[in-house]
Order: sequence, then structure tokens, then C-alpha cells
Amino acid sequence: MEITLYQIFKTFFKVGTMLLGGGYVILPLLQSELVERKGWISDEDLCEYFALGQSIPGIIAANVSIFVGYKLKRTAGALAAISGIVLPAFLAIVIIAKILEEIVNIRFIQSIFWGVGIGVLMLLFLAVKEIWRKSVVDKFTCFVFFLVFIMSSCFKVSPAFLIILVIFIGLCLEAVKRIEKE
Amino acid sequence: MIYLKLFFEFFYTGLFSFGGGYATLPFLYHIADKYHWYTTKQLSDMIAVASITPGPVGVNVATFAGFSTSGILGALIATTSVILPSFIIVIMLSKFLNRYSDNRYVKSVIYTLKPAGCGLLAAVGVDMFVNNINFVGMLLLLGLFCAGAAEKRDPLFYLGISAVAGLIAGFFNLAG
Repeated sequence: MEITLYQIFKTFFKVGTMLLGGGYVILPLLQSELVERKGWISDEDLCEYFALGQSIPGIIAANVSIFVGYKLKRTAGALAAISGIVLPAFLAIVIIAKILEEIVNIRFIQSIFWGVGIGVLMLLFLAVKEIWRKSVVDKFTCFVFFLVFIMSSCFKVSPAFLIILVIFIGLCLEAVKRIEKE
Repeated sequence: MIYLKLFFEFFYTGLFSFGGGYATLPFLYHIADKYHWYTTKQLSDMIAVASITPGPVGVNVATFAGFSTSGILGALIATTSVILPSFIIVIMLSKFLNRYSDNRYVKSVIYTLKPAGCGLLAAVGVDMFVNNINFVGMLLLLGLFCAGAAEKRDPLFYLGISAVAGLIAGFFNLAG
């Protein structure tokens, strides 16, 4: 069945509404909506877009949405996806801009922040678990996973640098394979 | 010309903030110093609010700055311009990848990028875990994770549960 622009917009609008607690949550949300429920893209696609989205400038959730939208329906799809993601954010801020300070200082809202933060973290770990199954398929990919994970979490190496390094490793891998064949 | 300034500043933020997450923050603080569209106190409030309003922090702050300086049109301009660089770059990159998707080198790079993406996401998770979680939070996380791993439901379901759990924990003074 053909995916319409309206469907793309609607789906991303839904994801945009649930996009609480920072842009990384977009991954588990897209995984649940687009991979599992609708089957529009695969876990592998998502993983690739996330890696690329981290290595180029811009807001990560926006980058990933544009990648997915483009994959589904070229430039028009990308436009539909990004509008859907941004619109809930836009509306929310326009509505609460005037009462910003009051909201932050209400205690029970702070408790909600705290709880949602943990929910978000759990979704993130679930996504890692799913994506691991699809992307870490042999010794080499396992090595890349731990290399990036350790460099990023222990040594705070910038994601852009790590992605450039990984691209270089990928190129070398293919070059070595070619040489071995000859 | 306030509109032009908004466009320029937020386009610049979108173009040079690498790495996602809170990479836009240094730029947003810089804007606060330079133009007084919002104070640094308002910015830190925004960051807190951004965790409960939908959308990425960078987008939220752009909308807020645009709206508080020049109303709905300003909000529209600032929001669009923070995303515009992403849009242009991602589409160019997608076109390139489509054209060369059969190339062996491109294939090899993508095969290597996937576990790297997974590794980066895991690092984000660990970082968030180490920085903002107390004992009660850990129990909640563990409970949610087991529930989520056993039966996959709509993400909204888990966010709802965790919001309620946060309220209860807050009531007993246990929330971080």
C-alpha cells in the first residue's frame, strides 16, 4: 500500500507529541511506531540514520526524522515528517511561554519531570536492546559497538569524531577484503 | 530587523551544533548574552520545561525566543531556521547514499555504522543513568525495564506510568 504524505505527517505528529525528555527518545518511539507497528522501515535503517544523524550538525531528532521522511517519500516526505515532529513542540511552547516560570516552580510538576525522565531512560535501554540484536551480528560489529561505547561514555570523545573514525574503519575493512581477494 | 536576526542566529545554531542532545546549549547561552531575547534563568527554566513538553530542547528554545521577542511570526521564523540546516544536509546526504547504495565501500561503511549508532545510544543511556538517578529511580527503572522487556506496549503507556510513579515518589519526598 502506498504511504501518503498525510499518513507520514500524522505518524510523526504522534511521535512528536510523545517526544518528552530530549531528542534521543525519538529512537524508541520511531522503533515502536514505524518499525513494529507500521513496518515502514527496519531497525537497521533506524540505526544507520541515528549514527549518521549524530555525525552531522543539527538537532538529532530533526535529523533522524528527515532521514526517515526522505526514505519514505523523498523531499515531500521529509517535509511532512519534520513538520509533524516540530508542530507539537511549537504549539506547546507558544501556549506555555507566558507562564514558564510558574510551571517550573510547581513541586508536583517537578516530580512528574523526574518520573518521566526515568520512563524515557527505560525506553532508551529497550531500544538499545532491540537495535543491538539487529546491528551487532558478528565479532567485527561487536568490536565496533564496544569501541564506540567506551570511547563515548568513558572518554567523552565527540560523536562526530567517532563516526568519522568508524567510516574510516569501514572503508579500510572493504579495502583489506579486496586486497585479500587479489 | 528582528526577524532577520532571529533567522540568522538560529540558522547558525542549527548549522554548528554537532552531536545532538544538549549540543545546542552553548549556542543558546551565547544568544542569551548577546541579544537578551531571554535571560539565562529563563533558559534553564526552558531546559527543565523541555523535558516535559514535546520536542527537542533546541527547537523548544528557538520557539520560545522567537515568541517572546516578536510573537507568533518570530516563533515560526526561529523554529524554521534552527531546523533548516538539518533539512538541507540530510537531504543531500540521503541523495548521495541512494545513488551509491550499490557501491561496496558505501555498503561496508553502513555495515560498520550500525553498531556504532547502537554504541552511541547505549552511551547516552549510561550517561543519563549515572547523572540523574537515585535509588528509588533505579528500582523504578528496573521494574519498568522488566515489564517492557516482557511485553512490549505503546511508549505512551510507560511514560504515563512513570509520570504517576514520579508523582507518588514526589509525595513521599523520594523523587530526586
